[in-house]
Amino acid sequence: MALSGLFEGYDPGGFFDEAVTSEGAPRDHYEALVRRLEGLTPHHLAERERVRDAAFRSAGITFTVYGEGEGIERTFPMDLVPRIIPAGEWEHLEEGLIQRVTALNRFLDDLYVGDKAVIKDGIVPQWLISSSDGFQRAAHGISVPHGARCLVAGIDLVRDAEGTYRVLEDNLRNPSGVSYVLENRAAMTRVLPRVFDDHLVRPVDHYGPSLLNALRRVSPAGADPEPTVVVLTPGVFNSAYFEHAFLARQMGVELVEGRDLVVDDHVVSMRTTHGLKRVDVIYRRIDDSFLDPVVFRSDSILGVPGVMSAARAGNVTIANAVGNGVADDKAVYAYVPDIIRYYLGAEPILPNVPTYLLWDADQRRHVLDRMDELVVKPVAESGGYGMLIGPSATDAEIAAMCRRVEADPRGYIAQEVVALSRHPTLVDDHLEGRHIDLRPFVLCGDRVEVIPGGLTRVALRKGSLVVNSSQGGGSKDTWVLASPEARTSRGRP
Amino acid sequence: MLARHAESLFWAGRSIERAESTARMLDVTYHGLLEAMPWEAERSWMDLLKVLWLDRPFAELERGVRAATVSEFLVFDPDNPGAILSSVGQARENSRAARELISSELWEAVNSFHLELRSRNLRADVEARPHELYGFVKRSCQMIAGVAGETMPRDDGWRFLMLGWMLERAEMTCRLLDVRYSQLVTAGATGGFHHWLQTLKSASGSEAFRRRYRASMDPADVVEFLLLSRTFPRSVLFCLASAENGLARLEAGRPTLTRPQRLLGRTRSDLEFLDSHELLEGDLHVFLDQMLNGVRQVAESVALQYFRNAQEHDIHALDPYGPVLELG
Repeated sequence: MALSGLFEGYDPGGFFDEAVTSEGAPRDHYEALVRRLEGLTPHHLAERERVRDAAFRSAGITFTVYGEGEGIERTFPMDLVPRIIPAGEWEHLEEGLIQRVTALNRFLDDLYVGDKAVIKDGIVPQWLISSSDGFQRAAHGISVPHGARCLVAGIDLVRDAEGTYRVLEDNLRNPSGVSYVLENRAAMTRVLPRVFDDHLVRPVDHYGPSLLNALRRVSPAGADPEPTVVVLTPGVFNSAYFEHAFLARQMGVELVEGRDLVVDDHVVSMRTTHGLKRVDVIYRRIDDSFLDPVVFRSDSILGVPGVMSAARAGNVTIANAVGNGVADDKAVYAYVPDIIRYYLGAEPILPNVPTYLLWDADQRRHVLDRMDELVVKPVAESGGYGMLIGPSATDAEIAAMCRRVEADPRGYIAQEVVALSRHPTLVDDHLEGRHIDLRPFVLCGDRVEVIPGGLTRVALRKGSLVVNSSQGGGSKDTWVLASPEARTSRGRP
Repeated sequence: MLARHAESLFWAGRSIERAESTARMLDVTYHGLLEAMPWEAERSWMDLLKVLWLDRPFAELERGVRAATVSEFLVFDPDNPGAILSSVGQARENSRAARELISSELWEAVNSFHLELRSRNLRADVEARPHELYGFVKRSCQMIAGVAGETMPRDDGWRFLMLGWMLERAEMTCRLLDVRYSQLVTAGATGGFHHWLQTLKSASGSEAFRRRYRASMDPADVVEFLLLSRTFPRSVLFCLASAENGLARLEAGRPTLTRPQRLLGRTRSDLEFLDSHELLEGDLHVFLDQMLNGVRQVAESVALQYFRNAQEHDIHALDPYGPVLELG
């Protein structure tokens, strides 16, 4: 079955293509979508793109890009071709994600309020933990109900040349992007409603209530049975402000800034029009170092002086917990498979990407010899900042990275380049393959829950492997198909 | 609700009202002058600046008082924080700061208005089709008011939005009357039909006035209508009564009045029990000045009571172990 229309001349290019087999035929679960897209004209799609852009702009769904003079508000481009994950594949992912986040929560609890068994038993070296930028001594002894230290986790998955899903990195501090999952879905249903025909797509719009539920479950023991939850934002100038406001709205709770909160006698309250009101749970979207000027950076004006002492006194829960950065340190990442085996006594369901630790002299030598074939990343950064992609880097860039690695081998890791899977993506008037990843969102309250799908990010530049929104990436609506049993039980053909 | 959000909504309401009033007055001034003598122009533009309390900042720019310079200053001059473009920008920023409290429809209405205004060639619009431009601003503001009314729950957020809106409108109408009236006094003229018609149009009240007073264009009637009408939504009394009602609902169940309520009630009753003919014989300017002062004090006390957490300061000032108040 040859491809036609928008797919005219579509070439998987030797990569694993999500929608099309290497023989050039649509995969089973893409069949209906491909046929429907073939029937659309470029003109029609261009018109649909205008509708989409106008909708995003007037809704103010924007993020701020820094580094080009003053911050610029941009929309996060959503490609009109959705990504589809069949039910069986998703079950596997869901199981693997729950396993991974469960183990990471156990690991963090062990480090901060446990007896550090993972270190004593020689699974992870002590020095690696204490040298991690993300490890916060100030969080020692502060417990979180149900051990839900990663209340929201965003686990970045990629698919390699064989189509195997691998974990690229864990985001356990303030993973962002979930607002785009919901907004992309809302936009798709408005812009291209008919492409949903013939699919039973699992909904995502219960994220707000699920998040609120998880946050309520971690309210301090003895708190009001109807705990007061707030979202703490650095303010309107933060690049993710739209998302912070979005989440507060989805949950129906207050969006506060540091200056709206006061701590008195280890109790956190917010300033309302009718005086102070006690706060039980803070879903903070401020980094650890800005959270409490008493404990962390004293020059932070975004934070809440005394909030750590209130958490220590058990009067407020901070989510995600302080100090989670130690577990998404990219060097600790290399140990996560062992961490899973250690706490859960099971083999990891989702494998890592092969990773080299650069303080090990043998591994470092091996890496420095073939920098042009590897990806090198700083261990504590996120958002794609500061990384080197060997195959596309200049000699000067490689030399500079070699010097940085030799000066601070603990500060970097190297990974094999993953030939990220590609997905048909609209480029001008036709479709081309572009590299994608997937960030599913995992919620932990008294149980662990994964929102179907997640954020599919797409590297819009031809050949690029970098999908971050700050680096020219876009996104796709991500469809998890309901299993055939669910189809029949809901009375759909 | 959060004190900061209350403040943002209060100012969002004020800014939208300001943009609308400015557009309406620009429209009326511009079109009124088309039928006027050339020498009247400069004075009319100067008066408009006075109504908006922008005469001094404008004079400092030394641009000469002409239709083009004043209109550009009031529509899009980046140095004028009271320009329509700046007001709408402020309304948008304040809505954004209280984004999760207002409905998505309201946010989109404000945001779209802001984006569309910015994408226009405002200089060309002011020059070539001012009526269309001011109509667009008025319609957009009215649409925002309508969307707010249809989508916002009547909670405290709504009340602060309306409080800002109504206080700004009351001030605008007072200032409009003040300037239009003082114009007559200084010119020594009786005013005449067109002068007062224009005044009414600036407050969007000429039709409502006609229905109520028919053919009359007695200055006392106009003053009475704009100050004291109980039915016209831009009269000062109507605005103050709405604001007072909102304040009362904010404090439902409280046994005593708050300071903003007392101040506003006093200002409103000074107005309500007034005789407009007496007023015209006395000094309208002095009275309007009192009104404006009253409204400003209300706004200040609202800020202290609700935005700066007067209660919080009170609580901290209270010393539970301090001297007991001796009775008798």
